[in-house]
Amino acid sequence: MSASPGDSPGAAVSTSQLRKWFRNGRTKVEAVSGIDLAVHPGEIYGFLGPNGAGKTTTLRMLTTLLPIDAGEAFVAGVDVRRQPQEVRRRIGYVGQLGGTDLPATGRENLILQASLYGATRAGAERRAAELIDSLELAGFADRVARTYSGGQRRRLEVALGIMHRPDVLFLDEPTTGLDPQNRANLWEQLRQLRRAGTTIFLTTHYLEEADALADRVAIVDHGKVVAEGTPQDLKRRLAGDVVSVRLRSDDQNIEHLRQDLAGEPFVTEARLEGETIRLYVTDGALALPLVFDRLRAAGVLLDSVSVAEPSLDDVFLQQTGRSLRDTAAGAASAEVAA
Amino acid sequence: MKLLREIGLLWKRKLVETVRQPTWVFVGLSTPLLYLALFAPLLQKFAGGPDFRSGSVLDVFVPGILVLMAFGAGMGAGWGIIWEVDTGVIERLRVTPTSRFALLMGTVLRDVAMFVIPALVVIAVAIPFGFHPQWGGTAVLVVLLSLVTVITSAWSNALGIILRQIGSLAAVITGLQLPLTLLAGILLPLSIAPLWMQGLAHVNPLYYAVEASRDLSQGTIISATVMLGFAVMIGLAGLTLWWATRTYRRAVA
Repeated sequence: MSASPGDSPGAAVSTSQLRKWFRNGRTKVEAVSGIDLAVHPGEIYGFLGPNGAGKTTTLRMLTTLLPIDAGEAFVAGVDVRRQPQEVRRRIGYVGQLGGTDLPATGRENLILQASLYGATRAGAERRAAELIDSLELAGFADRVARTYSGGQRRRLEVALGIMHRPDVLFLDEPTTGLDPQNRANLWEQLRQLRRAGTTIFLTTHYLEEADALADRVAIVDHGKVVAEGTPQDLKRRLAGDVVSVRLRSDDQNIEHLRQDLAGEPFVTEARLEGETIRLYVTDGALALPLVFDRLRAAGVLLDSVSVAEPSLDDVFLQQTGRSLRDTAAGAASAEVAA
Repeated sequence: MKLLREIGLLWKRKLVETVRQPTWVFVGLSTPLLYLALFAPLLQKFAGGPDFRSGSVLDVFVPGILVLMAFGAGMGAGWGIIWEVDTGVIERLRVTPTSRFALLMGTVLRDVAMFVIPALVVIAVAIPFGFHPQWGGTAVLVVLLSLVTVITSAWSNALGIILRQIGSLAAVITGLQLPLTLLAGILLPLSIAPLWMQGLAHVNPLYYAVEASRDLSQGTIISATVMLGFAVMIGLAGLTLWWATRTYRRAVA
């Protein structure tokens, strides 16, 4: 058999044209439409995208929870379609829902988990003690998990995921619902795991998380990878700076103004986000005086102006035509409405 | 070996969980005892009547209560499974290499324990009030009824995973519980029922367990009725376990 793109040698996770359909009544909805990716061993790989982009579905296929409809996937060198049981031995998984056994104590959770991977009773106890120590669970490990705070529970769940020293650890939106302090703690734990050689594959819809934590990022939208690379690379590809101009009042002519600015030679692209015009320029310092000139000529009142390097959101915006912040906020309000 | 070990681990997990929720243990015991205390006295009138020849009303009634307990012990499994699906426990366990059959059997065997232990208590409590158990028959009866618990537990597990909503599960289960129990002659023997009811009972699997239970409680272990009861229960247990294991394997939860 010839080597297929999904079989990238040495990759911790690789997929080729991975697809998944869901049936919604009579219509067939494609949730994942041909994802190709390659995760290098020992890196933290961020799968970034808005809610409904197909992140979780992809993760669930890679972790054997969902059957793969088409395409190929290899995890830790094993074909996910052909040998799901072998994949399960090699991976750890921390789901969105958590999966802590709430009526049991943290330690009991850990011991059972290790036992299910075949550890002896003594081995399971030793490994549990080790993780309780290294992940600092000692303060609550012998309390029933029902009494844990969100941050404590998440720490236990990460411990459950790495109990059997997996080659690849998958985490689905690991920091959703955590306060900034706990989020920072979890990031630090994941970095430590990477230092110890674990490959980490995580989904997130937080730009900051992908930017700060991931070695490489795949930006997903509508079931497809629209960009992949290190956060720095992705941002550098956008070359230049972003000038954000916020007007004082909701000026009726703002769209008109945007069009004018978009026509300027020093502006690569101009986008409207609420009352803010975002200008993509090659050099912020050079562009700024020119921008002020145009604004003065248009006679509009400024609320604020800022110059910044492009963020991953700008990358997302450029690839999809939407802002990840907007889609995330939209999804959040839709959830509240539902 | 690996399978037995996994079943043992997961069974223990469910037992610990159950013991830590003493309310359920209490409820599980109080219902049959209430039947004994508040329903059995109503049957005193029938004592010595055509279907209560053996003398004591409890000799007919206790096996009926035991069937009801066996049936009820498994029926609640679906609620627990929905909760475990919602909290991600099932998902986490499904990513481990654990056998899906073992995942199911942990719950099923917990339910069997939750039938057998209260059943022994009820038998012990009923004796001073005039229940005369035939020991051999009663032992075989508990085994037969454990199969009933296996069936209802596996069935409820599968339904819980498929329906995934407490409301729908409750509707299906309570909707079926009443006709199934009434048409099995659990509380009163069907021999006093009109013919059409007796005919209808034959399509109710529970009926065969109840019929066998009456023979067994009178000490008749080797009889066509008992054989038929075991045959139907073993067949159905195999079928529901297979089905429920399949739902665990496919669960999109």
